[in-house]
Amino acid sequence: MTVAPPAPPTDEGLAPAPVVAAPAGPSRGRNLLIGAGRWVVAYGAALVIFGALAWMKGADPIALYRDMWASTFSNSTSLGEVGLKATPFLLAALAVAVPARAGLVNIGGEGQLVIGTVAAAGAGLALDGQLQGWAVMLVMGVAAAIGGGLWAGIAGVLRLKTGINEAISTLLLNYVATDVLLYLIYDPWKDAAGFGQPASRPLLDSSRLPRIEGFGRLHLGFVVAIGLAVGVWAILRYTSWGFRLRVAGGNAEAARRAGLPVGWLVLSSILVGGALAGLGGMLHFAGVEGQLRSGITFTFGYVGFLASWLARHDPLKIIGASILLGAIAVAGDSLQIDAGLPAATVKILMALVLLAVLANSRRTKGAAS
Amino acid sequence: MTELAPMLDLTAESATGSTTPFIEVRGLTKRFGEVLANDQVAFDVRAGEVHALLGENGAGKSTLMKLLYGVYHADEGDVLVEGEPVEITSPAVARALGIGMVFQDLRLVPAFTVAENISMALDGQGFVYRRGAVERHIRDSAEQMGFAVDPGALVRHLAIGERQRVEILKVLMAGARMVILDEPTSVLAPQEVDALFGAVDELRSQGLAIVIITHKLHEARAIADRVSVLRGGRIVARGIDPTTMDDRTLIGHMVGREVPALPAERPAPPEAPVPALAVRNITVSGDGGHVALRDVDLAIASGELVGIAGVSGNGQRELFEAVLGLRPLSSGSITIDDTPVRKADPRIALAVGGVGIPEDPLAHSVVPGLSVLEHMVLSDMGAVRKGLGIDWNRARSLLGDLDERTQLRIAAPHREVASLSGGNVQRVILTRTLGDDGSRLVVAAYPSRGLDIATTRRTQELLLARRAAGAGVLLISEDLDELLELSDRIAVLHAGELAGIVRPGEVDRYEIGRLMLGGAE
Repeated sequence: MTVAPPAPPTDEGLAPAPVVAAPAGPSRGRNLLIGAGRWVVAYGAALVIFGALAWMKGADPIALYRDMWASTFSNSTSLGEVGLKATPFLLAALAVAVPARAGLVNIGGEGQLVIGTVAAAGAGLALDGQLQGWAVMLVMGVAAAIGGGLWAGIAGVLRLKTGINEAISTLLLNYVATDVLLYLIYDPWKDAAGFGQPASRPLLDSSRLPRIEGFGRLHLGFVVAIGLAVGVWAILRYTSWGFRLRVAGGNAEAARRAGLPVGWLVLSSILVGGALAGLGGMLHFAGVEGQLRSGITFTFGYVGFLASWLARHDPLKIIGASILLGAIAVAGDSLQIDAGLPAATVKILMALVLLAVLANSRRTKGAAS
Repeated sequence: MTELAPMLDLTAESATGSTTPFIEVRGLTKRFGEVLANDQVAFDVRAGEVHALLGENGAGKSTLMKLLYGVYHADEGDVLVEGEPVEITSPAVARALGIGMVFQDLRLVPAFTVAENISMALDGQGFVYRRGAVERHIRDSAEQMGFAVDPGALVRHLAIGERQRVEILKVLMAGARMVILDEPTSVLAPQEVDALFGAVDELRSQGLAIVIITHKLHEARAIADRVSVLRGGRIVARGIDPTTMDDRTLIGHMVGREVPALPAERPAPPEAPVPALAVRNITVSGDGGHVALRDVDLAIASGELVGIAGVSGNGQRELFEAVLGLRPLSSGSITIDDTPVRKADPRIALAVGGVGIPEDPLAHSVVPGLSVLEHMVLSDMGAVRKGLGIDWNRARSLLGDLDERTQLRIAAPHREVASLSGGNVQRVILTRTLGDDGSRLVVAAYPSRGLDIATTRRTQELLLARRAAGAGVLLISEDLDELLELSDRIAVLHAGELAGIVRPGEVDRYEIGRLMLGGAE
């Protein structure tokens, strides 16, 4: 089902028996130090290269980084903006991390997020004003999770029944999801009072997520997202389901031979992942947008994919990675305003960060084997 | 000449100046991380002799030979070829010095002809492949060396023994004056071993230096002029005449201590009304869709150990997988303890106590990143489940029980299994599988592969213990000695069919070999 692990060394030369017991102790601290050093060098290189590029475009790199810092971490409102961006990134990243435990590559966070948003909007617009605000939000959340989960489930079932690679199917489903969104806002859900704009009517304020006092636009969804990350971490770490996902993801053939229900594990992981992405869509919709429009998700799903790989699919590290990428995204706006660089410039910085991570993971792997 | 100077050591030899060995190493040391794979090894091989290098798995035999062949580079020590110090930095350098190696896993391209395979190893071929000239050249060389080889035959049509001779021919035609044979007999039937040794004898008489890596004493005795023994990376006996030492002493050198004999008295298998395993006329397809097993019919009684002999690749893997519900049947049926294994679902076999030791543990049983402890609870979650979580304390005590019962000296519970050496991985699998005292059927594929002699013996004891406890045991092995020693009956597989079922004691190894080769003489 998945790629077979490398064949075992067939001769004693490659795998020497323990002639001498290997003491592991003293070199450990040094390894940690080397590891930290590598990260500093990699991220430093990314920043230097980006600075050089900005300088070539006529911007002052020092001032640029100062502005980026000021726009992100200098005060509570900026911090709120960072958290705002980080929220959907975080959930989209968890949508990658959970299936990754079972050995799946979910590139469909974007589509699952879109469908989650659509489901949340559908439920919210149908119920707001009729139920209490908290009840509407609850229903929206459930609908979004179910929507995102089912959307991902399509890829899961395709994989189990026909063997279609989920990386391909989830990616393609992203485009379908966007088309579903466009269809709804261009036709059935189009706001009659919206001057012909392709957008739904706005969600009533009573059904929107409350803001967190003192942090600008930051809403409760950020706290929910962090809570979910910690919850996912605990579930993967402590439950037998989490353990079995690791077994199935680590070696599906070993899992099958051990009698584990590999198909069910694979499917459940991608269902849960899709549900998390769907929730991310709901949080962004009910916390920020309030109105279904085209481009509502801004490729959050892909940034989440990046965040998950940055964090090597560890939910706790994903919190940090999402905030980092959220900060880069916010700083991108300041690039445009303060340095006169195009907003897309920030994607170069993201790409450089990703390359730094990849270079590092490559090195670590090489050192291990 | 070996008759004249059987016990000469190096100093005496160089003092008299009678023979300069073809190759000689001094103080050769090779480390892998913290592991000392070769420690100050001194060793020599003369032209016109067969030198057997004995030692257990992991003793450093292959490492030493790979140092000579330039696959690895020594950390310390000198190598002399015909008295001249050399630096063997790569296999190409080794070949230029006249050193050739035949690896255990033969490195021929199955879809190519013999001539094409050999010509790949030869220099000066030019751009155009001249088939006629190459084939003639090969035929001449083969004849000269006393081999019968058809240069035009496709390698995939050759038996394993023939392929091995092609590989040797390839090495010789590339100009080798010393040939290293790495465990050459491990995949051969007895008749093929005889043929190989005949060829080796011919090469010896032509003045070549031959090194045979082996752990089988009787083979070393049959062919070698001198024997050296490696243990724990050190040479513990160097260049001795094998006729001067009995088996017990040699094994003592290899293992460093005495290995207990297996119990000779064993309870007879009961005439059980319900067989532990009943395989009824099964036909099974292999991975490529070809028929891998045809109409195989075999029953194992409770308390019976049945061995499967055969050259590997004759359906052993498919039999293992079919029995444990890992591979669908095209026709026929399988029951374990009277429970039909209806469809290819390993959970059915597991539920009735059918367990397996796979032929490729890394691919089939080892999950990267998981520890020894975690591997113990892979299949039997029920015992350690606590609500939604896992009771790791209970798992730890289960592991303690298994370890106690099997005494296989398993690695520490927190160690990552994928990072262990092959032999230690195998111990983990064996501990889990053979420590399960509820098993009704044990299917063991090459269980002692990669193990040292003492652990092999312990594993055999555990298999016999399962048998004594009333489980059926199906033992798939390439080692005829092991099969003859352990089995109540031996079933021989050839080309996916049961070539025959024999009882040890009633037939000799050559009869089994004849069946392994499909009845050919």
